[in-house]
Amino acid sequence: MTATAEAPPTDPPTTPEPETGGSRLAGLGEVVLRWAGAIAGAIIIFAAILISKGTDPISVFTDTWSATLLNSYSVQQILIKAAPFALAALAVVVPSRAGLVNVGGEGQVIVGAIAAAGLDLAFGASLPGGLMLLVMLLGGVLAGAAWAGIAAVMRLTVSVNEAVSTLLLNYVALDLLLALIYQPWKDPLGSGQPASRPVEDAAKLPVFSGTSVHLGLLLVVAAAVAVWAVFRYTAWGYQLQAVGGNPEAARRAGLPVTRLLLTAMLVGGALAGLGGAIHLTGVEYQLRPGFASQVGYLGFLASWLARHKPGAVLLAATVLAALAVAGDSLQLDSGLPAATANILTGLILIAVLGWTGTRKKASSR
Amino acid sequence: MSLVVDVLSGAVRGGTSVMYGALGETVSEKAGVVNLGTEGCMLVGALAGFATASATGNPWLGVLIAAVGGGALAGIHAILVISRGANQFASGLTLLFFALGLTSLYGADYVGKEIHALNPIAIPGLSDIPFLGPILFHQDALTYLSYLTAPALWWIMASTRPGLLLRTAGERAEVLTVHGYRIATTRYAAVITGGALAGIGGAHLSIAYAQSWFENMIVGRGFIAVALVIFASWQPLRVMVGAYLFGAALALSPALQARGIGINQFALDVLPFLVTLLVLAFLGKRTLLSAPAELRRVFDNTAT
Repeated sequence: MTATAEAPPTDPPTTPEPETGGSRLAGLGEVVLRWAGAIAGAIIIFAAILISKGTDPISVFTDTWSATLLNSYSVQQILIKAAPFALAALAVVVPSRAGLVNVGGEGQVIVGAIAAAGLDLAFGASLPGGLMLLVMLLGGVLAGAAWAGIAAVMRLTVSVNEAVSTLLLNYVALDLLLALIYQPWKDPLGSGQPASRPVEDAAKLPVFSGTSVHLGLLLVVAAAVAVWAVFRYTAWGYQLQAVGGNPEAARRAGLPVTRLLLTAMLVGGALAGLGGAIHLTGVEYQLRPGFASQVGYLGFLASWLARHKPGAVLLAATVLAALAVAGDSLQLDSGLPAATANILTGLILIAVLGWTGTRKKASSR
Repeated sequence: MSLVVDVLSGAVRGGTSVMYGALGETVSEKAGVVNLGTEGCMLVGALAGFATASATGNPWLGVLIAAVGGGALAGIHAILVISRGANQFASGLTLLFFALGLTSLYGADYVGKEIHALNPIAIPGLSDIPFLGPILFHQDALTYLSYLTAPALWWIMASTRPGLLLRTAGERAEVLTVHGYRIATTRYAAVITGGALAGIGGAHLSIAYAQSWFENMIVGRGFIAVALVIFASWQPLRVMVGAYLFGAALALSPALQARGIGINQFALDVLPFLVTLLVLAFLGKRTLLSAPAELRRVFDNTAT
């Protein structure tokens, strides 16, 4: 397992697991305490960094808090941003259960959006809106799956590690996006930075009335539930986790390891591709440079934050989205660069990765 | 200048920062630790170096502080993965975001500033050699230093005691324990040294290549560095070749455009990644076999 392979013998003793007689409540209390401590530590260090820049952290926190969480526009932005994060995170969750590392969410999201936009450019005017939307989302799903499939096939035929190939494919996808919008797909009516033509109005995801929150959010929740159910109830999910646990044993038990690994990767890519298509049809409406930038990497981290649990992924994605939106209000209210919020994101993840896992958790992954 | 000379000298100039990053990643991975945060180390190095050069007027002091900064960030990675048992990929990406945030916060004051930069110096005599002169000997001092760094690293890893310890930490870590060394200490040293080299790579970008600082200025070179190490089968001299190949792809499109040959820049930008993927596919299992054993365990948890 990735996490434990590196755990060296010099690992300092972590808090021992509760004794066999220890109540589950005590264990839960300890987990809550660890998380609270880790996050508090991250916030304190962030405050210290703000002070070092001559900014008053208390006013930054209160301003950002009210601008981000007490403002309905911002809350809507958080939900909108969380949607692709969550799908990109689920794209990490599924392969990880089989022991595969998908660092390619970034590229899979982008090709999902490219496919959706391309279908709209090709058929947008000739199909009825609802059908067109469906075709676009499906196109995104297939494109994302295909992109991850490249890495899966390379892994299974010529032993190229999927963490490496998915990472490289991110850049191929990004260059493909840029090449398309700088030349063939460039909107002749657009001004400023090059972008593709906005998708047909009829092919946009409907929004909850009175808000900018699109119905794609329901798809995201459905996807998380589906992933959870698949691992809980289906043979495929069970076998996948057997492969992730011990591939050699799974092979000897006669499981179709190659097919399981391939499908795990395809499903992961499909989820990320759906994320790209949803982000296009629900939020951005057109491809531009920086489209869904860092969504894949943040999704990867959301998956780790959630310890690869589908339900927790929704929460983790929302937290990371809130931090990203907080960055925007930091810029508006406190005059700090929006990317400053990444410091807090980084600190929280450092704290969570390093100081919330117990030995048992680490080895059960 | 002819097109070839133009592209190749650009390749050396543009490839140098990636080479430092990839050499750093090589050191780290030889000891069994992948650092996806190399991009972050380069960012921190670029800003720390630029800020120091701006404050002191001394670009070399900037390079030194860049190494310290890159090493410090890598130190966090080391703590997380070596002492705390965190996942290497997650920790590396985390550090990237941490570095993105830190450098945009502290770097805001340095956008648009000018510094006493490291400019190209023609080496008398050598720079007059036809063809090779303008390619290799009309560069900045950090690039000249990189000509020595890669072979030096190769020699250190192949022939010295620290190099042997490093390789042992990556191949059969338990042997270190048997001989009374601490695995963790060796790995810490490797990861931090790797970060320091990446920091120098970042400094090359801000102090010598672009001679400016702007947010997120590494734009993926750190990830390319990680890919390059695999492309180069963990060998410093091959890293050098790979870095120049990458630099050549970067230099080709402006060189063609300057001659009125229109070409979609992004179609060229994608070449290094496609080439790396193709090479990996072609080498296949052989790449994996040349990887340090402890590293294979990090990558291949479901060996097929």
